[in-house]
Amino acid sequence: MADLNLTIDGKQVTVKPGSTVLDACKQIGIYVPTLCFHPDLTPYGACRLCIVEIEKMRGLPTACSTPVTEGMVVKTDTDQIKNFRQGVLELILTEHPHPCLTCWRRERCGPYDICLRNVDVTMRCVLCPKNKICELQEVSDFIGIEQVEFPYVSKNIPIDHENTFFERDYNLCIKCGRCIRVCQEIRGAAAIAWTMRGSNALPGTAFDISLHDADCQYCGACVDACPTGALMERNRRWEGNIATNVLTTCPYCGVGCQLNLAVKDGKIVESVPSRENDVNRGQACVKGRFGIAEAVQSPERLKTPLIKRNGKFESATWEEAMNLVASKLVSYPKESTAVLSSAKTTNEDNFVAQKFTRVVLGHNNIDHCARLCHAPTVSGLAATFGSGAMTNSIREIGNAACVFAIGTNTSESHPVIALEIKKAVDRGGKLIVGNPRGIRLTTFSDVWLRHAPGTDVPLLLGMAKVIVDEGLEDKEFIASRCENFDDLLASLKNVKLDEVEKITGVPQETIKIAARMYATNKPATILYTMGITQHTSGTDNVMAIAYLAMLTGNLGKPSSGVNPLRGQNNVQGACDMGALPNVFPAYQSVSDANNRAKFEATWGTALSDKVGLTVTEMMDAAYQGKIKAMYIIGENPPISEPDANHAVAALRKLDFLVVQDIFMTETAREADVVFPATSFAEKDGTFTNTERRVQMVRKAIEAIGESKPDWLITSLLAQKMGARGFEYRNSSEIMTEINKLAPSYGGITHQRLDKGGLQWPCPNTDHPGTPILHVNTFTRGKGRFMPLSYKPPAEMPDAAYPLTLTTGRSLYQYHTGTMTRKVKGLNELLNENLLEINPVDAEKLHLVNGEMVKVSSRRGSIQAKTKITDVSPAGVVYMNFHFAESAANVLTNAAVDPVSKIPEFKVCAVKVEKIAS
Amino acid sequence: MTFETLRTRALAEWDALQKLDKPRILVGAATCGLASGAEQVIKTINEELAKNKIDAVVTRVGCIGLCYAEPIVDIIKPGQPRITYSKVTPEVAVKLIKDYLLAGNPHADLAMGTHGDQMVKDIPKFWDLPVLKSQIRIALRNCGNIDPEDINQYIANGGYTGIQRALKMTQAQVIDEMKKSGLKGRGGAGFSTGQKWDFCNKAPGNVKYLICNADEGDPGAFVNRSLLESDPHCVLEGMLIGAYAIGCNYGYIYCRAEYPLAIERLQNALDQMRKNNLLGNNIMDSGFNFDITIKEGAGAFVCGEETALMASIEGKRGMPRPRPPFPANSGLWGKPSNINNVETFANASIIFQKNADWFAGFGTESSKGTKGFSLSGKAVRTGLVEVPMGIPLGDIIYDIGGGIVKGKKFKGVLTGGPSGGCLPASKLDLPVDYEQLTKAGSIMGSGGMVVADEDTCIVDMARFFLTFTQDESCGKCVPCRVGTKQMLQILERITRGEGVPDDIRKLEKLAGTIKSTSLCALGQSAPNPVLTTLKYFREEYDEHINKKYCRAGVCTKLVKSPCQNACPAGIDIPRYIRLIGLGKYGEAVAVIREKVPFPATLGYVCVHFCEAKCRRGQLEQAIGIKELKRLAADRDTGIWKKNSKVAPTTGKKVAVIGSGPAGLTAAFYLTKKGHSVTVFESLPQSGGMMRVGIPRYRLPAEILDKEIKDITDTGVDIKLNSRVESTEDLFKQGFDSVFIATGAHKANAMGMEGENSTGIIDGVEFLRQISLGQKVNVGKNIMVVGGGNVAIDAARTALRLGSEKVTIVYRRTRAEMPASTEEIEAAVKEGIELELLTNPSKATAANGKLKVELIKMALGKVDQSGRPRPVLIKGSEHIIECDMLIKAIGQESDTPSGFGVTVARAGRIEANEDSLATSKTGVYAGGDVVSGPASVIEAIQDGRKAAIAIDKYLGNNGIIEEILAPQEATPKYVPPEIDRDEFRPELLEMAVGKRITCFAMAELGWADKDGVKETDRCLRCDLEAH
Repeated sequence: MADLNLTIDGKQVTVKPGSTVLDACKQIGIYVPTLCFHPDLTPYGACRLCIVEIEKMRGLPTACSTPVTEGMVVKTDTDQIKNFRQGVLELILTEHPHPCLTCWRRERCGPYDICLRNVDVTMRCVLCPKNKICELQEVSDFIGIEQVEFPYVSKNIPIDHENTFFERDYNLCIKCGRCIRVCQEIRGAAAIAWTMRGSNALPGTAFDISLHDADCQYCGACVDACPTGALMERNRRWEGNIATNVLTTCPYCGVGCQLNLAVKDGKIVESVPSRENDVNRGQACVKGRFGIAEAVQSPERLKTPLIKRNGKFESATWEEAMNLVASKLVSYPKESTAVLSSAKTTNEDNFVAQKFTRVVLGHNNIDHCARLCHAPTVSGLAATFGSGAMTNSIREIGNAACVFAIGTNTSESHPVIALEIKKAVDRGGKLIVGNPRGIRLTTFSDVWLRHAPGTDVPLLLGMAKVIVDEGLEDKEFIASRCENFDDLLASLKNVKLDEVEKITGVPQETIKIAARMYATNKPATILYTMGITQHTSGTDNVMAIAYLAMLTGNLGKPSSGVNPLRGQNNVQGACDMGALPNVFPAYQSVSDANNRAKFEATWGTALSDKVGLTVTEMMDAAYQGKIKAMYIIGENPPISEPDANHAVAALRKLDFLVVQDIFMTETAREADVVFPATSFAEKDGTFTNTERRVQMVRKAIEAIGESKPDWLITSLLAQKMGARGFEYRNSSEIMTEINKLAPSYGGITHQRLDKGGLQWPCPNTDHPGTPILHVNTFTRGKGRFMPLSYKPPAEMPDAAYPLTLTTGRSLYQYHTGTMTRKVKGLNELLNENLLEINPVDAEKLHLVNGEMVKVSSRRGSIQAKTKITDVSPAGVVYMNFHFAESAANVLTNAAVDPVSKIPEFKVCAVKVEKIAS
Repeated sequence: MTFETLRTRALAEWDALQKLDKPRILVGAATCGLASGAEQVIKTINEELAKNKIDAVVTRVGCIGLCYAEPIVDIIKPGQPRITYSKVTPEVAVKLIKDYLLAGNPHADLAMGTHGDQMVKDIPKFWDLPVLKSQIRIALRNCGNIDPEDINQYIANGGYTGIQRALKMTQAQVIDEMKKSGLKGRGGAGFSTGQKWDFCNKAPGNVKYLICNADEGDPGAFVNRSLLESDPHCVLEGMLIGAYAIGCNYGYIYCRAEYPLAIERLQNALDQMRKNNLLGNNIMDSGFNFDITIKEGAGAFVCGEETALMASIEGKRGMPRPRPPFPANSGLWGKPSNINNVETFANASIIFQKNADWFAGFGTESSKGTKGFSLSGKAVRTGLVEVPMGIPLGDIIYDIGGGIVKGKKFKGVLTGGPSGGCLPASKLDLPVDYEQLTKAGSIMGSGGMVVADEDTCIVDMARFFLTFTQDESCGKCVPCRVGTKQMLQILERITRGEGVPDDIRKLEKLAGTIKSTSLCALGQSAPNPVLTTLKYFREEYDEHINKKYCRAGVCTKLVKSPCQNACPAGIDIPRYIRLIGLGKYGEAVAVIREKVPFPATLGYVCVHFCEAKCRRGQLEQAIGIKELKRLAADRDTGIWKKNSKVAPTTGKKVAVIGSGPAGLTAAFYLTKKGHSVTVFESLPQSGGMMRVGIPRYRLPAEILDKEIKDITDTGVDIKLNSRVESTEDLFKQGFDSVFIATGAHKANAMGMEGENSTGIIDGVEFLRQISLGQKVNVGKNIMVVGGGNVAIDAARTALRLGSEKVTIVYRRTRAEMPASTEEIEAAVKEGIELELLTNPSKATAANGKLKVELIKMALGKVDQSGRPRPVLIKGSEHIIECDMLIKAIGQESDTPSGFGVTVARAGRIEANEDSLATSKTGVYAGGDVVSGPASVIEAIQDGRKAAIAIDKYLGNNGIIEEILAPQEATPKYVPPEIDRDEFRPELLEMAVGKRITCFAMAELGWADKDGVKETDRCLRCDLEAH
């Protein structure tokens, strides 16, 4: 469609089709007052302040809701408009304390001055937390009101202090509905809605129940949307207008939300999601919104290096600690040491850690927790496409005609990506959910495939069979872009839908509906996470997903693709940086002589060609005494490893353990030396999010205590051990080295990132980055089909252990809880492990809700409270793995996928017993 | 089965039904009928039929719209016409079955009318009844005639031939036909239906929706409900046609859940349609697919707004959204959607059953067809009405509605529901169509029409409707949510008597903002009731604000009791009634005396505005307040004199011209304030009209004399036979102020040929001569022209003077006569004949006789006075002979130019309404000379006003209030016994034969015990309200 021309107040404007009159006004700098308008929300037209006159239109249309048409003539400042705006604003002010808004001398008035108009303290703007950042103030200033003729009706509503994060003072509410609309339109939570009507209308919960009971997820979007002081974050309520805002990347999950850290007096007061980006576009989750300042600034932060003497930690100087570690590490035979790098630290930190391992320790025994999440993605997609990462971008999901979310509880683990799924559904897209559990997504899905845990391959092959049988495949795509299709075709002949039904528990009709839905609504995108990967068949699962996408040609196009959602904030980056035992940065194999030659040339030393140990292998080796010393950076194996008791035992068998972290973790407790690291808020660097987008992490506050950035600690240690090439003055210098060595990062410099993130591959500084992979050709050339077959999980329920345990994450805690469990409000929402159990099973075991039970597997037992719910299907119980005191991973099975070595976290056999009172 | 087969079968069935050889009984069983007890009636009928072994068919039909006459039962006896009976209770039903079905007596006394050409003796034709005569039933064509649950009956009456015809046309042709019909949306906004269909038809998109808006939420609107309950298929057929025209396959009916019967019948109708291939796939084998779902609304008024309605269907909170985008492009679920009202669809189906030109033949140039109205409120015949567009508003209220209940005065009519406007009597001739209503400041809305009478407080009514809109505002947009609330608060303040003059400006400002800036029509129209009442009834607002007075006696904070509120002098009626009940007559008179110096006179002749407002009157009969006053006055002990004080002399002199009730009242109170007052009376006796206008048989001379003596006893000097020609002379004589109360003693001219012939005299002149003891010769045959109290008095006086035949000629009917009802009754009782709807046009005198040409009149349209205007019937002239003609058609005043004051028409002096000040400083005027002929009590009120104003003018405080009755403890409120009807005790009166021979009081009043009994009926509203 062509651009549109219009005249506003006599000025000519040309706008894009679909623009509103308000957009057009903004474009040429004509201010039109608004209160209910919010750029992320659909026009609402309630505050009536943006009324304008438009020739040939009846009445006074609202600029926010009126689309521009060609040749429109708009007037925004006639006397009529001014009068009516004043009239309407006057009415708004009868619902909001306003003496200061109409006072001519308010510019000269300070918070504790005597008010010449004898106004109550509680009605004064100067004491309102939103003073000077209040939109009502801005609008009042523009419209200009000297007197409100109609009485202000005090509503006398008690301020709601119910939750820890924010307060609700509806006496200041002007009923613009932005909080409600963001909760419903963007978040899909609908925890709040309009209550009552007419002049009694007020945002609130249904039947006035608590926010928590109304399923509020405390994302804070309502707080950010509120134009007045009605909704305020508690912590900043009395901080006034904060000038310093540092844009950085959220340290929690792999979404990579851009946040503004508001800093006052050297402290982070609040973190507010940034609107100007393609990742989170103004949204965050409870952890990013409310879980940062308190965690980063926790009094429990490590402040000095610690050395364990006689079983007790003592503070030490950096010099002492460094000397000790350096002398110890050189004392062990080569390859009897190992390094665990971290998916939580920056790319620069990881680069230095792997360089340290390869250059200073001289081997490839480096790995990190990606092994425990997306190793099958890397192996599975490498085999089919040639590279293992999200093929498409987050912002494309919302435009998909079909979203197939399998093995992902997106709204808990990747809340902001879940918003895109909701957007797709709102726009008419179909949603297929594959999950044994009744998760939030299933409440608005078109089809729910409730398959038994560990039966993904038969389910997906069943869908592939339906697609092929019904001729729904994209024949042209298969012919031109893929290979080996005939093998797959042949293998699908063996797939019998009635058998699939038997194995998965999903009726074949449902499988057919899902298959047709996925194959015929294009573009279709597949999202998956640990439900797919954490299996002994993890690699097969991933490949089966890849096949569905290839079969239907859903690759290389916008809003399509295969999209593994990465768990940790920088798990993608840690992999990209080569914190893996088999590859240098950018997945350059250590076995390849050319690669080695390149790195040896740059690093000036010979490098090992032997693939190192994975994290699970390291633990076994340590247990067996083959590994004597470990350097663990920001990882917490006693909680995150399967068969956790085994992991703790392994650590205890080590001769020497160095741990580098921000808190005294369960791992650090086992250490001989602990290095205090700075958090993400105290250093510069980059994270690479799940969609391969490299984004800046910026220093907001000074380092806490004597803590140092991870890259600096590792570099200093390297130097202490006599290595060269570690004299980095800042993280930007490290990135320059990455640019040189990692081709896909070739053009990603800190300087460019300052203007916004870049998606790799980005080979040079002129390259705009790559939002979609495999556009014309797959990384490996052709997409490859290989026959697959169903392999049941390693441990199936039996008479002794009759239930299947599956594990996962909660929205309110993060991973091993090192950060989130320092946040009071998050702990109030969830602070203990609950065993979710189906009422049928609970009845069999005579359990009641909230009862403490013993859960045991062949590897150990823990205690947890029951939560009787049909979210879990009969025969399946579910636990979170965040809680050290009730660590679900004590129970899980360490059996691994033969290809990717990922342990089977998602399926193990357990029994649940009553605890004798 | 093809539609043709279906139709043939239906027609055959219907035909058989008409020719049935056994009786058919149709019972109106829509909500209104059921609410009036139709269910019980049906049960009784069935029992009775069984008991008497009568084989008859009982059918439940819908509503014919005569709510006031429910339950309605039609009986069709083979060979007899269909007869409609109203208000059929089970007892009546038994009677009808026994007497009519068994015995053959059609009970003309219980029947409303017959249908068809065949007539039954003494029963009028149903469709000739005034309530139906001007109605044209198009949308409501089948209501009450067919069984709404039988699709065949609908088909037999032309049903579904409309869609059959439409399906043979192209979509464009259907839309053109619709445009040609000129049908406008009946939901209220009046947008062209054809145009609307066209927009939606042209909107791009494969999926489109058609919605029927049946969320009829206005209080007092029930057109849609009746249609859905009585003839659901006519609406559904309209939907089919609309769906076909716009190319849509899916429809919704959004119906309020409060309409369970409508929903039930719709569901039943949909099922029948599906069975007969009229809904679903391949309708009538045409390839057209359409299905309909009923969506029940939860009862929010705003959900009648189209965008809110669609949000509600989508499962969202029913709140409107801004347009554009318009529903035609992006409506339900974001798809192109067309939404029409129930009545629109009902019209659409018949437009296609007949044709566009036929439909366009009804109505006005700009508004075609008919419109259904729900007539409610204070009309006599409330109910459902369908009239052609352009019919005068007054016709609906008077012809169809039968005027105002209890003969009260029409005040206004609210059209268009709570967001419509209230139109006054001056708009009764307004042709009702979309354009005219809008021009008058109101709206058509969904056809609600609420009639208000004089007992309705206009401010309170505006407040009520604003309470509704404020309650029903969704709360989304600021002007509607906050603005209406602020308006409501102001109105509440005004009705509480706390209004300030600036409130009117604030109301107007708010109304302007709300109208112009609200998001949806609910807000945009919410101020209409306030704006129209401010425009047409501003004086009532001013009274509430400035005088803290509610003329209707409704605003409880302003009204101690309705009777006291209605009394021009503000007498504390409940208090003296209570004292009379206690036998304390003297104290009771003292209470009356606190406001008026003529308690006895008023007891005999007061026009008693109080009784018209008496709440007991709403039960069975008003308290006899006037008679009670007489009772007390006749037994006065004079106790009031104890507390009556005269202030020390001020040295100021006041002249009062005229010794009528106004003049003497002013003189009395001014004297008590210490001024020296002289009353100048041109006649030889004092008392003004009390003396020379009211015959002695109504007010004995001694009663008047006594009360005038009480006045002169305070020091008032009355100079008789002293005509004053100049006020300036009085000032020269040393008077400081003058009060003119010269009354209206000059008869109006009739403008009749030969008016001045011998034998024609003025009524007032006649009465004056008799009162002053002059001898007047009356003939045997007397004609009195006029319908007021003077006419009646003259007639009765003539009778007493020996006339043998007295005829009163009046141009309207008895109901319109301005004279007091009891006076008319008394006259008729005494043998006076009423020649109504007649007017003299010519008179000639010859041989001592008068030949009077009379002409018959008919009642025409209601004029702005709320009364029908008489129209001459040409050729009805006839001549009657009489001995004397007394003309009594009103009086005017004879104001000498020497008074030096501004005089308006009919000699009336212009005076300030509150102070009675004239154009000349120091000169005040009141009573009939200002108001025109009025009542004693109104003249007394003016006398009080004048006393206050003159006292202030003379430098005093103007306080004339006094406490005359002894103080007493606040009485305890004992709820009165109102379980059963109790009427006034019989009045003692002189036998007719005796009383027409003399001028003694005809009515003798009550005995003590009867008076006490009467006081027991008082509801003590004064205590209830406070």
